[in-house]
Amino acid sequence: MSGRPSLVGRVAREEWRALARNRVAVVAGLILAVLLAGSALLCVEQRNAIEASRERHQASSDRQFDLQPDRHPHRMVHYGQFVFRPLSTLAFFDRGVDSFTGHTVFLEGHRQNSANFSEARQSSLLLRFGELTPAFVLQTLAPLLVIFLAYGAVASERERGTLRLLAAQGLGASDMLAGKLLAHGGAAGLILAPAALALLIAALLGWAPPGPAVLLLVIYGLYLAIWAVMAVLVSSLARRSRDALILLVSIWMVLVVLIPRTLPEAAARLRTQTLTRIETDIAIHADLNKIGDSHDPDDPYFSAFKAKILAQYGVRRVEDLPVQWAGLVGMEGERLTSQLFDRYAREAFAREQAQNRFVRGFGAVSPVIALRQASMSLAGTDIESHQDFLDQVERYRYAFVQSLNRMQVEQIPNQGAGEDPRIAAANWKRVPSFAYVAPDVLRLAGGRIAANLAVLIVWLVALLALCAPVARRLREDAR
Amino acid sequence: MNRFRYELRLLLRSRVAAAALTLLLVLSAVAVGAGLSASARQTALIDRVATAQARDFAAATTQYGKPDGEAGYAAYYTFHLTSDRPSSLAFAAMGQRDIQPYVLRVRLLGLQAQLYETETVNPELALPGPFDFAFVLIYLAPLAVIVLMHDLVSGEREAGRLRLLSALPVTPGQLWLRRAGVRLMLVLLALLGPFLVGALVAKAPIWGVAILSLVAILYVAFWAGLGLMVGAWGRRSAFNAATLVGCWIVLVLLVPALANAALSRAIPVGRGVDLTLAQREAVHHAWDVPREAVMAPFVAKHPEWKDKARVGGGFHWKWYYAMHEMGDDGVAGQVAAYRASLAARQAWTERLGWLSPAAAAQSLVHRVADSDLQAHLAYQDNVTAFHRHLQDFYYPYLFSERPFTRKDFARAPVYAPRGSSSSTPVVPLLALLVLSLSAWAGGVVGARRTVS
Repeated sequence: MSGRPSLVGRVAREEWRALARNRVAVVAGLILAVLLAGSALLCVEQRNAIEASRERHQASSDRQFDLQPDRHPHRMVHYGQFVFRPLSTLAFFDRGVDSFTGHTVFLEGHRQNSANFSEARQSSLLLRFGELTPAFVLQTLAPLLVIFLAYGAVASERERGTLRLLAAQGLGASDMLAGKLLAHGGAAGLILAPAALALLIAALLGWAPPGPAVLLLVIYGLYLAIWAVMAVLVSSLARRSRDALILLVSIWMVLVVLIPRTLPEAAARLRTQTLTRIETDIAIHADLNKIGDSHDPDDPYFSAFKAKILAQYGVRRVEDLPVQWAGLVGMEGERLTSQLFDRYAREAFAREQAQNRFVRGFGAVSPVIALRQASMSLAGTDIESHQDFLDQVERYRYAFVQSLNRMQVEQIPNQGAGEDPRIAAANWKRVPSFAYVAPDVLRLAGGRIAANLAVLIVWLVALLALCAPVARRLREDAR
Repeated sequence: MNRFRYELRLLLRSRVAAAALTLLLVLSAVAVGAGLSASARQTALIDRVATAQARDFAAATTQYGKPDGEAGYAAYYTFHLTSDRPSSLAFAAMGQRDIQPYVLRVRLLGLQAQLYETETVNPELALPGPFDFAFVLIYLAPLAVIVLMHDLVSGEREAGRLRLLSALPVTPGQLWLRRAGVRLMLVLLALLGPFLVGALVAKAPIWGVAILSLVAILYVAFWAGLGLMVGAWGRRSAFNAATLVGCWIVLVLLVPALANAALSRAIPVGRGVDLTLAQREAVHHAWDVPREAVMAPFVAKHPEWKDKARVGGGFHWKWYYAMHEMGDDGVAGQVAAYRASLAARQAWTERLGWLSPAAAAQSLVHRVADSDLQAHLAYQDNVTAFHRHLQDFYYPYLFSERPFTRKDFARAPVYAPRGSSSSTPVVPLLALLVLSLSAWAGGVVGARRTVS
């Protein structure tokens, strides 16, 4: 499509002037701007409140741990440790699955507890209408504004008969189409402005990571551009502007409301069912019993373990060991359980991912799906970030339990420890506390972000490629 | 009657109207089908877990059900399964059943450390919400109404027939009311037809089906009334469509999302975490105080074990389980406060029905289908009661120091499913009734004015 810049610019300027004169459009635009800015401010405040409360809980739980009195280390293994998932800074922009995943995990020996107290489980069903975040406004409402501004772009010219008039005055169809696209692309950019401002301020203040913040802007820009081009194209093809509006709103309904809702149901039905926690617990328990029973003196696995330890310390009987035998058995048991936890968690996550891949595959059908994925990934609130947290938690749990077990091995006498052996409370301060390392989302989810970005670009390019035949249609119509 | 048939034929001749109705019918049928299959999947999953649990229970029986078995070990290593089957109406409104666990195993240890466990949930699939009849009703049915109603009057004007119609010898407004009525009826037919079939398949109780249908009728009627009101205004069709879609965005998307943000800020529920932290302190503190400090309050609560509750300085199962029960009792106040904050969120959600008919319909259908937060709390209550049965079952063995044998495993209490907690909340129903009556009042006034 070759357009003459001066004419294209004039068409765009005219379209802008018309939009500015359209009072309903201006009011709708202002309302959306207020919603965006308001939701950004509210969500920053909300995110900080959530984060502060999790930090407070973490600090008080850590302090309580350090304050425990003299005890047997195994008591502390079951006293356990609470960890709280810190919330990424960009969670203010897109809450992602954070409200649906628990953020509190209780860690103890030889058990893997679930992450509990998710917001969704503690809210009324109101939460399921969606959370008012900038992402919600941009994903769901902004396309409607784009549609509302652009549905009449070409169709109303046709209705008024000005299409022919303009052609007679020498304005080519491609120039006009390019001008309209420029105008509505610009309008989409303006719609994005409050969100852009929020993201840039957050990045410039060093509060949010700059790379993901900028990429968020890019994907939402692409997304709104897709809607702007789609709206102008439909407007060019529709006979009446009313038809264009109905068709565009229907497309929005299907892409934004219907498809994202129906796919999970299909995924849950088509894909393998995930194992429940209960089944996993039972399976792990059975597997452990298969490996061996540490209480059985004739058990092959633990006999071999005993022989190894005795050889290592160069003694003939466990009673002669310089370290506590029960503690060593405990450490070995923890090692075995932990391996099983890891294996089952990996399998469960793989099954979950198989379901999600099915849904994500439909990004090609609805750009909303690709956008949502990329947005959550960039905000660090997607399922992979949550899994990364759970992995860190499990690694920490193992280190935490084994450090206590080691204290038992080294400090509790192997023989004649008495009825209630305890070690000094000062030891608890030496147990490491949980230090969450926020993942670099670009490294953690780089591939997925790139794939979703590619889907959005392909959508935009494909729609732009449609402009040439549409311009031809317009030219024929104007004759 | 003839006139109605004529109106019907006229309406269905419009391709857009016929397409919208067909689409609604298909989506409603698909949603009902999806709901029935999701419901069946949940039931199947409960059965699957029950099978696995039976194996685990049998293994525990073999391992700990020796002739001289100790009840302390048996109670420590034996889990007992509880489950919450979907109600027969859950197929229509899955509510929170996709995120709340409906299988939970408990043992004799402190309940508060077990009650809030999470089951496997794929959060990414749960995020958009379930595709069920409630979704079609709340989100999609209004859009079908908008498609059918937005050009009720303006369509005639734009086709040049309006003057002709006003010259007809009918009472002012009657024509528009009749037309709106026909449209409302068709939407309800397309919407409720599949639902009623689904209710038959699921053998849902008549009362629940009636209430759910009433909610659907009131909710769709609200939108039809609004459509009539806007349609009678005398603007162009495109303007009417835009106005009605705007109302839909505000009432279905915006108000609920805003209200949720306000509610989660106004009523925080961090007490759930606080109470588990407190429960842990209570239980573990017991290890560091004289045995008497645990046993005295326990005996005060259970005088029947007064003579058998004496324990020495070392470890004893009597003391161990007493300590766990006292740990739960110690946080009873916090549990009540936590539950109150959840109930407050639910109550405010119901009041919100006055602002958004979508929110009113949502809380109504899920309350009737017994699949909302309140339903889950009812399940938790039942698990709590079951946990008391476990105490009643194990304590005689523990305190009388009777051996716990293979036969005794078979005597263990089995979880009995809770009765339905389904109810019809008055506030949202009243809100829906008032809102839909006012919409129709506005519509009727508008329709009268149009002709005169």
